Amino acid sequence: MDAPITNKQSQTHYKPKGNKKPLTVGLSYKKELRERLYALVFLGPSLLILTIFVFFPMLRTLYLSFFLTNSVGKPTVFIGLQNYFSLLTSTAYLHSLQATFIYVIAVSCLTLVLGLLLAQTASQKIRGISFFRTVFSGTMGVSVSVAAIFWLFMFNPSVGLLDQLANLFHLPVINWLTQPGWAMTAVVISTVWMNLGFTFLIFFGALQSVPTTFYEAAQIEGVSKRYQFFHITLPMISPTLFFVSIITLIESFKSFGLIDLMTAGGPDNATNLLVYRIYQDAFLSGNYGLASTESVILALMIAFFTFIQFKVLEKRVNY
Amino acid sequence: MKKIKNFRYRHLLLLFSLCAVILSALTGCTSAKADSRIQITFWHEMTGPAQVQLTKFVKEFNQSQHKYTVVPQFEGNYNEAVQKILNTHGTSASPAVFQSMDISTSQIYSSGYTTPVQKFITADNYDVSKISAVARAFYSKNGQQLSMPFNTSQPVLYYNATLLKKYGITPPPVDPSYSDITRVAQQLYERSGKKVKGLSVEIYGWLFEQFLANAGESLANNQDGHAGTPTAVNFTGTAATTTMKWIQENIKHGSFMNYGSGTSASANEMAGFLSGKLGMFLQSSADISQLTAGMKDQLGITYYPHPDGQKSNGVSIGGASLWISNDKSTTVQRGAWEFIKYLMKSQNQAAWQAATGYLALNKDSQNEPVLQKLYQKTPAAKIPSQQLARTTPNNTNSGIFMQGLIQERTITQTAMEQIYNGKNVTSALQDAEKQMNSYVQTTNKANK
Amino acid sequence: MGIELASLSKSYDGQNWTLKNINVQIKSGEFFTIVGPSGCGKSTLLRMIAGLISISDGTLKIDDQDVTNLPPQERSLSMVFQNYALFPFLDVKSNVAFGLKARKMPAAQLEQRVAHALELVGLSELKARKPRELSGGQRQRVALARAIASDTKICLMDEPLSNLDAQLRSKMRSEIRELQQNLGITLIYVTHDQVEAMTMADRIMVLHAHEVQQIGTPSEIYQHPANSFVAQFFGTPRMNLLSVHYSTKNQRHLQVDPLLDYVLPMDIEEGDYFVGVRPNALEIHATAQASNAAIKNIEYLGTQSIIHALLDNQEEVRITTAQNNTFSLGERIQIRATAAYFVFDNTGRAIFFNKGDGEDGRTNYKQTVTNAL
Repeated sequence: MDAPITNKQSQTHYKPKGNKKPLTVGLSYKKELRERLYALVFLGPSLLILTIFVFFPMLRTLYLSFFLTNSVGKPTVFIGLQNYFSLLTSTAYLHSLQATFIYVIAVSCLTLVLGLLLAQTASQKIRGISFFRTVFSGTMGVSVSVAAIFWLFMFNPSVGLLDQLANLFHLPVINWLTQPGWAMTAVVISTVWMNLGFTFLIFFGALQSVPTTFYEAAQIEGVSKRYQFFHITLPMISPTLFFVSIITLIESFKSFGLIDLMTAGGPDNATNLLVYRIYQDAFLSGNYGLASTESVILALMIAFFTFIQFKVLEKRVNY
Repeated sequence: MKKIKNFRYRHLLLLFSLCAVILSALTGCTSAKADSRIQITFWHEMTGPAQVQLTKFVKEFNQSQHKYTVVPQFEGNYNEAVQKILNTHGTSASPAVFQSMDISTSQIYSSGYTTPVQKFITADNYDVSKISAVARAFYSKNGQQLSMPFNTSQPVLYYNATLLKKYGITPPPVDPSYSDITRVAQQLYERSGKKVKGLSVEIYGWLFEQFLANAGESLANNQDGHAGTPTAVNFTGTAATTTMKWIQENIKHGSFMNYGSGTSASANEMAGFLSGKLGMFLQSSADISQLTAGMKDQLGITYYPHPDGQKSNGVSIGGASLWISNDKSTTVQRGAWEFIKYLMKSQNQAAWQAATGYLALNKDSQNEPVLQKLYQKTPAAKIPSQQLARTTPNNTNSGIFMQGLIQERTITQTAMEQIYNGKNVTSALQDAEKQMNSYVQTTNKANK
Repeated sequence: MGIELASLSKSYDGQNWTLKNINVQIKSGEFFTIVGPSGCGKSTLLRMIAGLISISDGTLKIDDQDVTNLPPQERSLSMVFQNYALFPFLDVKSNVAFGLKARKMPAAQLEQRVAHALELVGLSELKARKPRELSGGQRQRVALARAIASDTKICLMDEPLSNLDAQLRSKMRSEIRELQQNLGITLIYVTHDQVEAMTMADRIMVLHAHEVQQIGTPSEIYQHPANSFVAQFFGTPRMNLLSVHYSTKNQRHLQVDPLLDYVLPMDIEEGDYFVGVRPNALEIHATAQASNAAIKNIEYLGTQSIIHALLDNQEEVRITTAQNNTFSLGERIQIRATAAYFVFDNTGRAIFFNKGDGEDGRTNYKQTVTNAL
């Protein structure tokens, strides 16, 4: 509430540098030069690092995407947008695109909903709930490889826990990782499981920060629990919801570890997500031109979705 | 004010001196230790028992002479190593001698980063006839040896002999046809009350290539690339179609177990076989040491199966070979060659097979006591070597000399996944072929 | 609508009492204030009445109906919170309408109620603003409007003014009082501020150490505090409590020191006592020959000053005096008694003298204090 006022004040008091009186020019100029020099000295190292590790690779990737690369990864034939056209008409790539969307949407939605559900549960004042809080946030400390080993064991066709359970209850045994639809399900389950710890913790924190008087006031007014959740809790944690949804979306677009360890993109490319395809094309096939093109497309897509999310959610979040 | 300034400069000075210390420490690491020996950097991708044995060879080689010191460095998996080799070439970080996988042969060759070992073979008048012809053929071009085959395996069929005996099933013959395998698989599945699956063929491009090789069919034109750069592939010939239909038939019957693809697939397959839930599977001969170590039942091995109504053409090999980089001095290259020669010695090859399951490539190795002892204990262990020995190399069983074989494997594996999940064989293979052909065209264009 | 609290108690663990045996009858239309220092359980008591905290023991009746175990929404009351409980994402109007909307009140009726409530608190103009665009006082009014809109006859307020600055607070005090009068509602008002309690309430309940200290009108509580806690809690600066020993040989003279002497209207038992003297009931004589204290500090307030002095018997006293600028630090002074004083026994309980006991009829009131220490 104070911010806009001070802004206005600083604007009215602000004097453009061009209006300096001639008398002070020499001194100010020297001073300014020195300040710039200082700025450069201190910003220099980080600018250098950014240039080497961020700007250059970005531009290089864009550059490579217009080329065919030879067996040692050197760009040889300039082909303009040919890489882009061939990708967007390739059924395999479109298939990956579709798989990625399914994966991203499923993972994001499930992570958000389940994370919120767990956080809501853990916020209840029930005896022994702190034990569950620890359990719920447990996957925070689990590395991708450990998670993959755990879920590979769960989904194992001969000795897997899930299929043994299915046997026990005379349910049909599912070949989790070798049937396209189930493989996607399995990967989504594992990813959501991985994500839950972090999401839970963030949501839990957000729920704790909603003043209890909001609920007390509503309770006195005879507002139902359900209405309280949708009209108090959700709006109050909407900034967190927004933050988590963006993080989850971007992270799931970038999913790699679990895919590599559990399905390697298979079966039948069912779990061959865009990032995994980039990895395959660049680091297995050495096809850097195509991989660069895929990277550019992915980057654009993530930027686009983040932008949309900002546009759509910004209004609802900004209170 | 002055004080503040000084204070600031002092901090800057401190920062710079810190940087200087770090830099000098880093460069200090690379400044070589005083050593009169010539250092031969050796990159490899071996893990487990193979890494142990390889390190032992290196140590023994270093002790056996005083001119060279071989320094082994592990570089991760095959795929990663290829990229590292290509990307470090010409820098001080690059290796003098390196191990690179079978299907990277054409890529490494066309990079122009290596000295063909043929140069040293000719100079030394080294007798290569002792080395397995099939293995040599895989890594040669126009009669010239590009690299030396090293860890080499052949695909074979493993079966659980004890399990077959238990259900009174006649084991498959040593050179089985598809229908021989179908019979055993179905009998095992039915007689075990559907508790034991008969057969598994991992979704693995290498196995797909071997089906074609064993049927005597080229996978790529220009005679699998041995007569020139391939411009098109053949996934839809009789061999591929027949084989895939055979597998689909077994899947429909229920006796076939699909473990999928990737590293977890082979691990699951092995686990299934060792726990008696799977009767037969096709896999690399390199698995033999793991199987003999982990299995309580008697292990049976046959040659790779071939289509009905024809003789087997013989399978090619898998594994990796040793290359010599051309960005090092001639003395270093010489040292690399001496190390390769050392590895190919009869007793070393025998020890290699006994320790790892990879095949001994020196023909004399079969008479070494260490292998004789192994065969006595596990007679079936002889089968892969016999399969290797009996095969006459020709253009269809000497590997495929083509770039983009990793892509080929990805694509054929996808087709196999589709077929295993019930898709029409012909259309799956046609899709794959079309995809690969367009890839081949692009690759050729980029490498012109 | 009257409210009756009958031996209301609260314990979270069944052993320690957060609140013990609270009894009071709040009359319909009364402005009833619960006051006490922080941690005394006053907010807990309010939340028990609201139904937000369960009642461990005793009965709560609203309008003669037992509501001890009813959920909050069935007690037909409204509540205003210290932090106002305004939703930052809703504008003023929607905040006021929140509860009505959730209960699906017909639109026309809702509009009318909300408009009326906003008008009463003078916020009709600002109904489209978000809470962050309002000043503290305006936010407070929104919270009031929200309570008004619920149209209940009982309203609970939990320290509603403590987030406001002093000036605004005194303005809001009269506004709330006025609103309560106009709407004719029963208001239970929790505060830790004795000034608020004194200025607003019809009756005050003083809570301390989990128990009721005294219940009474502001003047009763000020004039006749039931114990030393209540006596010191009300009035600024705080009442002086000077310890004295009394024995019968003193002959009704309670002597703090030879110059500071109080004459009792009747004899009391031998023992230790406290004399309670409000700071304005002590006289300073600077010119006197004999002195019994030294000035330690002077707080100059304009119309008066607060003198902190140290008696020669090492007891500190606060004295207010209108004689400004006449004293200096360290100055020796004589402190003398006036006729106004209280006597508390060594447990803090007030000693009352029956009517006529005092020579000037000063302590003419006898009150039965049930909940005294």
